[in-house]
Amino acid sequence: MLKGNDFPEQPNAGDQNMTFFLDRLTSLFRTKPRLKPAELQAAFRAHYKDFRALLTANNNALELMAEMEQALTAGRSFGMAFVRGNCTALSVNIYKMIHHLTRLADGRYTELDQPFRAITKQLEQVIALRSPSAEGALILTMAEVDASAVDQVGEKMANLGEVRNRLGLRTPDGFVITATASRHFVEADALQVEINRRLKGLDLDNLEELYTVSAGIQNLISNAPLSPELEEAILAHHQQLATDSEDELLVALRSSALGEDSSNVSFAGQYRTQLNVSREFVVQTYREIVASKYKSQAIVYRQQRGYRNLDVHMCVGCLRMVDGAISGVLYSRAPDDPRSPYVIIQAAPGLAATVVDGSGATEQFRVSRTPPHPILHRQSAEELSHSPLALTELQAAELAATGVRLEEHFGTPQDIEWSIDRCGLLYILQSRPLGRPASEGGQDNSSISSHTVPQIRVSIVGRSVRQRGLPAMQQVCGQADDKGDAVPCDPLTLLSGGVCASQGVGCGPVFMVRSNLDLLRFPKGAVLVIETPYPDWASLLNRAVAVVSETGQPAAHLATVAREFGVPAIFGMKQALATLENNSLVTVDATGGKVYAGRIESLLALAPPKPNLMAGSPVYKVLTQALAHITPLNLTDPASPFFRPDGCKTLHDLTRFCHEKAVVEMFTFGERYGFDDKAAKQLVVDAPSQWWVIDLDDGFTPDFDPESRYIDLNHITSAPMQAIWQGMTAFPWAGPPPVSLGGFGSIIFQSTRNPNLDPAVRSAMAAKNYFLISKNFCNLSVRLGYHFALVEANLGKYLTENYVSFQFKGGAADQDRRLLRIQLISEILSEFGFRVEQKVDAMTARIEKKPGTYLLERLKVLGYLLIHTRQIDMIMADQDMAASYHQKIMADLRTLMDKTTPEA
Amino acid sequence: MTELPILVVDDEEEFVSTLVQRLRKRGWAGEGVLSGSAAVARVAANDFAVILLDMRLPDMDGGQVLREIKKIRPQSRVVILTGHASASEGEEGIKNGAFDYLLKPVEFETLLEKLQAARDRDP
Repeated sequence: MLKGNDFPEQPNAGDQNMTFFLDRLTSLFRTKPRLKPAELQAAFRAHYKDFRALLTANNNALELMAEMEQALTAGRSFGMAFVRGNCTALSVNIYKMIHHLTRLADGRYTELDQPFRAITKQLEQVIALRSPSAEGALILTMAEVDASAVDQVGEKMANLGEVRNRLGLRTPDGFVITATASRHFVEADALQVEINRRLKGLDLDNLEELYTVSAGIQNLISNAPLSPELEEAILAHHQQLATDSEDELLVALRSSALGEDSSNVSFAGQYRTQLNVSREFVVQTYREIVASKYKSQAIVYRQQRGYRNLDVHMCVGCLRMVDGAISGVLYSRAPDDPRSPYVIIQAAPGLAATVVDGSGATEQFRVSRTPPHPILHRQSAEELSHSPLALTELQAAELAATGVRLEEHFGTPQDIEWSIDRCGLLYILQSRPLGRPASEGGQDNSSISSHTVPQIRVSIVGRSVRQRGLPAMQQVCGQADDKGDAVPCDPLTLLSGGVCASQGVGCGPVFMVRSNLDLLRFPKGAVLVIETPYPDWASLLNRAVAVVSETGQPAAHLATVAREFGVPAIFGMKQALATLENNSLVTVDATGGKVYAGRIESLLALAPPKPNLMAGSPVYKVLTQALAHITPLNLTDPASPFFRPDGCKTLHDLTRFCHEKAVVEMFTFGERYGFDDKAAKQLVVDAPSQWWVIDLDDGFTPDFDPESRYIDLNHITSAPMQAIWQGMTAFPWAGPPPVSLGGFGSIIFQSTRNPNLDPAVRSAMAAKNYFLISKNFCNLSVRLGYHFALVEANLGKYLTENYVSFQFKGGAADQDRRLLRIQLISEILSEFGFRVEQKVDAMTARIEKKPGTYLLERLKVLGYLLIHTRQIDMIMADQDMAASYHQKIMADLRTLMDKTTPEA
Repeated sequence: MTELPILVVDDEEEFVSTLVQRLRKRGWAGEGVLSGSAAVARVAANDFAVILLDMRLPDMDGGQVLREIKKIRPQSRVVILTGHASASEGEEGIKNGAFDYLLKPVEFETLLEKLQAARDRDP
């Protein structure tokens, strides 16, 4: 994970580093003044301005890096706009850091420019990387196509070519208009440039914008002229296909996108396929299919799955229509059982399209995979809304044998589209890997070992249970009541039955979509209720929490996409539209085939986590490659001879280097310019304390006498310092914990209030503790006992400048106990909303971009911890004691924060 | 085959001519106009089975055309087909008597279904 501007790796290096700082600080106050106070102040202000700007840039850079790293692991979807935008913002912030550092250092460090340029150039190359695209023929006939042509014809057609030319199975005659052709088409006349322009900044959450931009781009492509060369080639091949046919030749134009149908990315039904196309419409239909790359659901799908537009090339198969008598889908294994000894056949009269677009009723068979392939199970006539089909046993056996052969050839279970023509000849229209096997849907409820709901514990909040569901937000089931007991009761089952199209459980308000108008109004987080699972509804799957459809089969494209997106779906749930009520809160248990009223926590707890849709995708790979130039931290030790500009190999190194040097430059300001040693004022609280304060800008009140050696709290305007001080002094320190560990018994500690307790004066540890302040800024370096801590806060005019950061390291005890203490501090800080990172016995904790009042409260917490965690590492081995310390600290902090509830 | 033709109102000539051609191929007589005023004039002169109306026209706002058409022939069945998705515009259209609201580009088979549904609806 991101390391921030960490402490160095080696345990001792931090101490060396600290010694270095302390030496610098000491020298700062030894130097004789050379500049007049007014000049000095002006120079200091200019430097401080750069210093602060550098810190803000550093802060932003770290935040951006964290966001990018998180995107890889969080599983949420992001597009190239995110990667490009963040990389650019990051480069800008690092450029700013270098710029401000150079100014702070009076023109030194210009050599940072070289690694900066080298790294950003590498980044640009990663981001601009295009998928390799081979040049080739505009058109290939099906006789020329096999798996080796995949880069030209897309996977769908390459697979079909394999089926035809390697396995010798019957497929429709035809040809493929290749990726080369579509690339020439869209790249002519800067069409692609215009498309990219329109897609830039498109907000996928705005459905109206999505549909409008999608329609505009498709219109653009559909009306763009084809080159005469391509148009002639298409028509000439069509002519050849027509030679033997007696009547008018009708073809099917099928999209075959590159990347489509790969084993874990289906692109199911995203692109267009047009059946029954006559000669005069072939060219126009081709354009429309190329345009369908920008269908709204395809844009959403690509974004969700991490594909760039340039990753997908549209190839189009032009195949003679099969005069289908019976058509359907064949799974070479049951989708929920990769070892099933039978194939599953779904069949419908006519063309296969009705099975896969979800619109037709189908008949289902289970047929043995072993010759002579007997039918094991046939859906009974009562279950069918039509009379049984005339699929003969022989045909079923032929289909099963074909399915087994295709699976053997491709090496994985297959999802096959087929058609038997009026002469009884079997045609394979498509064969692709069967998506998401094992427990990922595609089975009917009668066969699955669905989790049961034996005793759902429900507490009914409201009394007015309506027959058709419960008003949204009113019913929450399965939660404990005030006394902590859950009240068992039966959940209200609104619907039961159907087939599981995608497993899982989802809860949200019902929203029925009957028309395009409903589609535009579909709210995020709703349950999509539809009559038919048309592929077009797929553009709602990134918004829907579940799908309930009155008709359809698990073979439908919408089901495939739902499974990929991890959206639970029940299809064939009769009466769903009539029974459910818009805006009523329901829980859809797709696995159990039920829709319940209200929210049922016990069921939702069983829902599997959402799949990471991005992993392995092109955009994901680009981000991974980009991060290789961004996040690794090579410069860990400022004392190392390699800690220098040409050692910066990543952007993180540059931030680390700039931050480190900026701090040093600030500290050596006095050395270089001659800093008046009167600048450090000893803080007086009752009596002079061991704390010194340096005003960086406007940290003292105007009436404060600059000649005075002492300052009291009333003259300090720095809000962050006051907050830290409040935390430090709110509770008296109880002293070191009672330990008896020989020499450690004499461990030195210094009370904040007692300046006489300073027995370590001979060692570097005794160095004074300095607050460097301005009105809104505070940097506090503390060495208390044997640990070192650094608190820094900036409460700026803009939220983006606001931060509190805390670094902590060291201790006198052995490493285990020091770790335990860090653990304790980490836990506490996490409870107060800090982002904590821990490395060995060093930790950093940060909060950014929060309002000033929020940060001041957190500074109090840090102030408290600075004082009260001293030396507790010595007792951390004692669990009971550690627990009681934790308890006491939390109790104190709650009191301190005036009953402010800690935030997770 | 229906006795009455379909009127396609859209400012894109290529779209209108291709659609009319495709409809003809499937047994639907049709004609196209490229502006709102031409649409209103055609509706005044002729009774159409269904009017397919784009919302962005060069001379008139689609909503205005819809109201004019409904004024002349309150029974006309108008299907909105637009490339500019807008829920409020769609709601307005339905309120003003449009039969359906479709988003471009629409699959030809889907369009046919909608046209059939509009034609077969009781006036």
